[in-house]
Amino acid sequence: MSRVRHPLRRLAPVAWHSTLVVVVIAMVFPVVWALLTSFKPANDIYSIAPFSAEPTLDNYARVLADWPVVTLLGNTFVMAAGVAVGQIVIAVLGAYALVHFSPRSRGPILVLVTISLAIPPQALIIPQFLMTARLGWLNTDAGLIVPQLGTCALAVLLLVQHVEALPRSLTSAARLDGATPFEVLWHIVLPGLRPAIAAVAILVFITTWNEYLWPLLVSPRAEDTTVQIGLTQFQTAEGNDYGGLLAAATLTSIPIIVVYLFASRRITDAFLQSGIK
Amino acid sequence: MTLTTVPPRAVREDAPRRVRASVRPWLYLSPVLVAIGVWIYAPALFTVALSVLDWNLTTPPTGFVGADNFARLFRSADFWQALAQTALYALALLPFSTVIPLGLAIMLWQRPGRASTVYRSLLFLPVMMAPVAVAVSWKFMLNPLVGLANEVVGWFGVPPVNWLGDPSTALVVIVAVTAAKVTAFNMLLFSAALSGLDRRTIEAARLEGATSWEITRFIVAPQLAGTTALLGTLSLVLAGQWVFTNVTVLTQGGPDGVTDNIYYRIYTLGFEFFETGTASAAAVVVLLVFAVAGIAWRLVRRSHVPR
Repeated sequence: MSRVRHPLRRLAPVAWHSTLVVVVIAMVFPVVWALLTSFKPANDIYSIAPFSAEPTLDNYARVLADWPVVTLLGNTFVMAAGVAVGQIVIAVLGAYALVHFSPRSRGPILVLVTISLAIPPQALIIPQFLMTARLGWLNTDAGLIVPQLGTCALAVLLLVQHVEALPRSLTSAARLDGATPFEVLWHIVLPGLRPAIAAVAILVFITTWNEYLWPLLVSPRAEDTTVQIGLTQFQTAEGNDYGGLLAAATLTSIPIIVVYLFASRRITDAFLQSGIK
Repeated sequence: MTLTTVPPRAVREDAPRRVRASVRPWLYLSPVLVAIGVWIYAPALFTVALSVLDWNLTTPPTGFVGADNFARLFRSADFWQALAQTALYALALLPFSTVIPLGLAIMLWQRPGRASTVYRSLLFLPVMMAPVAVAVSWKFMLNPLVGLANEVVGWFGVPPVNWLGDPSTALVVIVAVTAAKVTAFNMLLFSAALSGLDRRTIEAARLEGATSWEITRFIVAPQLAGTTALLGTLSLVLAGQWVFTNVTVLTQGGPDGVTDNIYYRIYTLGFEFFETGTASAAAVVVLLVFAVAGIAWRLVRRSHVPR
């Protein structure tokens, strides 16, 4: 019967929009509230009104004066960029080899990569810490970056799917014309992979920016740690200065949220088009 | 044996090329194999070794102690409580890792278009938000004396709650804070699985007169069974990873250990009490639980999703 509803039109638009809006608000409310509070003067900080009658930048001025925010942002940027670049290089080479050379070991390697994704990182921190210490990498950029390259599984799995989706005709034509495998990778696969690489790089960058446990273990000193650790140290030191703390929290998370919102379509598409089932 | 039929010149040219061709994949694969080998698999074996040694971080290992570390771990009531609380926490998180994100993903999938894309980006935001900043924001709102949460429950005549200090609410808060992130991440993975469904089958079923419930129940759901099982398991890993920051900032495992969990315990045993052996034994227990869960998942998937 034609009275049967189209499966793609189940909820009324009003119900659809309001459900999603409520869920989004519930999810991001704490951070929005922190952002609003960071502009309130000290005597008004617990007020329930979202906007203060006298908005102020005092909290930010205090944080910038007392807290090494520039150093922390710099350290975090170096770590996140280092891990993102490293994981991308690893994942592109690996994904290309798995798809285009189709080694017999492809299945077992993919299983190894997938299992590495499913091992809880806390179960490995003691040996990882001891190895990093033995290498003399405590409180160094190398210590922050290199061990985190082990978490490249998600980047590899996403890129394998995207390399597989590239049309084979281009690569095989280039091979017939005598291009070496590396030339094929460089001139044909990489350009075709650029949107996926950008998405995965940003994803890894943001995840690393937000990493808390690893920098806490290997680089806890105030001058070489990352913003996440710096923020907990600020909380310990200035526990009752909520205005300052929330201003600091905003300073450390807004850059990332802006980057994400600009790249969000690419990132979500990287998952949607990855053929994960 | 084929070599005998090939002219000698070709052999001379082909042999090195064939060697190169067989070595080449490993050249490209070596970075990923070294990365996960050195920083994931070696530490996993190393953890097992540490769990049978008597060693703390400050002095050299004094020798093999067999199951002593495990015995000490199993004798401590704290460990069992941490394990029980982890199970409770994981159970409480289960709807947020399966049904809720699946519902959201289906809603977005039913109405493709610009609005869906925007909602999807916003719904994924919790995965991208800095966890310490989120936890600090919650702590501010949950302040027992002047926080927003008590102001709001006060409107309904509820007396002020010491959210993070009361054993009956602390775990609820920890679950809620982590739930947003788990829901967001799994929503996107479910969306990915849905976008891989064959819309033509669904269209055909609709033309045959299937109701939307029948389509969801008999066409969409079976195809997503594997994903749901995988995400249920995977979110246990992620939930453990993501809860750590929340516990550190909000409760440090308290009050009365209700928000303690096995992941946080590995950290405190290893890096606050410097009991490397006991912490490694706890880590081995976690690895074993995941190995069993992984094998169980393989078996379930094999029996339910014939491929």
